[in-house]
Amino acid sequence: VVNLLGISITVLFTLLLVFIIVPAIFGVSFGIRKVYMKTLLKIFQWATLRIERGAKEKNHPLYKPYVNGIIAKEPTSLEQEIKEMRRSGSGRALDAPEFELSDIFYFCRKGIETIMDDEVTKRFSAEELESWNLLSRTNYNFQYISLRLTVLWGLGVLIRYCFLLPLRIALAFTGISLLVTGTTVVGYLPNGRCKEFLSKHVHLMCYRICVRALTAIITYHDRGNRPRNGGICVANHTSPIDVIILASDGYYAMVGQIHGGLMGVIQRAMVKACPHVWFERSEVKDRHLVAKRLTEHVQDKSKLPILIFPEGTCINNTSVMMFKKGSFEIGATVYPVAIKYDPQFGDAFWNSSKYGMVTYLLRMMTSWAIVCSVWYLPPMTRQPEEDAVQFANRVKSAIARQGGLVDLLWDGGLKREKVKDTFKEEQQKLYSKMIVGN
Amino acid sequence: MGSAHSVPAEMRELADRTGFTSEQIEHLHRRFKQLSRDQLTIRKENFDSIPDLEFNPIRGKIVHAFFDRRNLRPQADGLADEINFEDFLTIMSYFRPIEMDMDEEQLDRFRKDKLRFLFHMYDSDHDGKITLQEYRNVVEELLSGNPHLEKDSARSIADGAMMEAASICVGQMMWQGIDIETKMHVRFLNMETIAHCY
Repeated sequence: VVNLLGISITVLFTLLLVFIIVPAIFGVSFGIRKVYMKTLLKIFQWATLRIERGAKEKNHPLYKPYVNGIIAKEPTSLEQEIKEMRRSGSGRALDAPEFELSDIFYFCRKGIETIMDDEVTKRFSAEELESWNLLSRTNYNFQYISLRLTVLWGLGVLIRYCFLLPLRIALAFTGISLLVTGTTVVGYLPNGRCKEFLSKHVHLMCYRICVRALTAIITYHDRGNRPRNGGICVANHTSPIDVIILASDGYYAMVGQIHGGLMGVIQRAMVKACPHVWFERSEVKDRHLVAKRLTEHVQDKSKLPILIFPEGTCINNTSVMMFKKGSFEIGATVYPVAIKYDPQFGDAFWNSSKYGMVTYLLRMMTSWAIVCSVWYLPPMTRQPEEDAVQFANRVKSAIARQGGLVDLLWDGGLKREKVKDTFKEEQQKLYSKMIVGN
Repeated sequence: MGSAHSVPAEMRELADRTGFTSEQIEHLHRRFKQLSRDQLTIRKENFDSIPDLEFNPIRGKIVHAFFDRRNLRPQADGLADEINFEDFLTIMSYFRPIEMDMDEEQLDRFRKDKLRFLFHMYDSDHDGKITLQEYRNVVEELLSGNPHLEKDSARSIADGAMMEAASICVGQMMWQGIDIETKMHVRFLNMETIAHCY
């Protein structure tokens, strides 16, 4: 009996694999994932209602994550506030260029406000949800769960870890090995249309399998604006999965540093079939070399569009941070792409200071699904009166607007470094202008 | 696993002492954990992770105020190396808005507490008096970013203001007529009116 059980499970498993891989090869979809998504949503809503009911019964306040911040910040300027303070205080003339003891109140209050709640620090930790998605990692009100809910959660754990996880790992394994072998084989063919055709399809097929390995449910908008040869595709960056999501719908040339290990093997195999732009570790520091190679690639119209993530680091998908200007100096047409994840089903943000790559991938594969929307925006070129930084900011605003993300001036590098002193000097200049006059 | 409820029983006591509601305390607790990177105490370096604070010219003095023991407990003195959540809340409570149901005595105490907080910010050597030099330090911090302002001008501005105030009362400083209750507080948003849509 045990033998029979083992055999039937293996057969079932293999059938499932085939059922998933075959459509991936041809790029068709049965819509099963969408049905799965709808069912899950209904279950989550039910779960959240139960928690709220449970909390009400016990008469406890529920923790509600409030995304717009917790304090009311006055939108008045430095000048207005100080004038007001002086008016209500000593009643002195407002244009008298003097320092008042009370002027310090304004700066003090502003400082405490930012300590309580600031725009940037919260971008580097995962977004908080308003309804519970049956993952204990996102639940902050854990003690209000009834028996029924616990059973449901337990069932969820069983499904995710014992059924979905092995299935996904098998798919990922298949996808990656097919990619490596496929591109190596194609690499032996002589250059020509046949090679290109095969290379494109091998890449697309393997990325599609990987998409299914994560149960990623992606909605593409405006596919007519997809990047063309000789262009650069820029997108906001939330996780390494972004690459898989974009590359499963288009044929791109990747840019990046050569790694060791498994990544390195994949990279070396890929470049045999089609010209990706890989840099050695030493070359990455040399900005001119990087710019030169990218320019050469872009000018060759037969080469594929380059895929770049100008933020330079992973942001938690509620905002877009400063774009590094390097890719905008090259002078090619830029095709912006906005990627917005729906955190309900699984948070795709990679907090690299908290989780390593392997832990991150495991978390991804034990989530329910990765749901996201991809918008292809119309191409942009640099105008004659703009410099690279202004162009980068223009592209950034377009992406932020489309994705419904907050457009921030700050640099993603703030995840790890301090702010420069120049910002403090700005406020000092403003205040001193007020006191002393120009 | 969510750990927002690690301050349950002490919450009551904290709420009474600092005057925040339990919801506000919860939010501030999450903020504290974010700043402390999940440790139990905060040090000065943890405030470096707030970029918007860098805009503030008196940033140094504000951060210093958190570790100034005179602000944490009555009759205490000196500097602490690190503060826990209770201390954090105590400092934040200096910025609470006034409530409608406060009587004269409470209002008076409230006002004095806020004034004392600001006094400590000026009085950097902890001797209970603000000297001309300490006064100048604050003015310089606020003004120094302007490249057109010479050091002497900043000095004379500080001296002028100090003389004026000193002429009102000799010796220690007093603030007069400033509506400190409304100018020195931070308003929390009203949580209940936020609609949640599913």
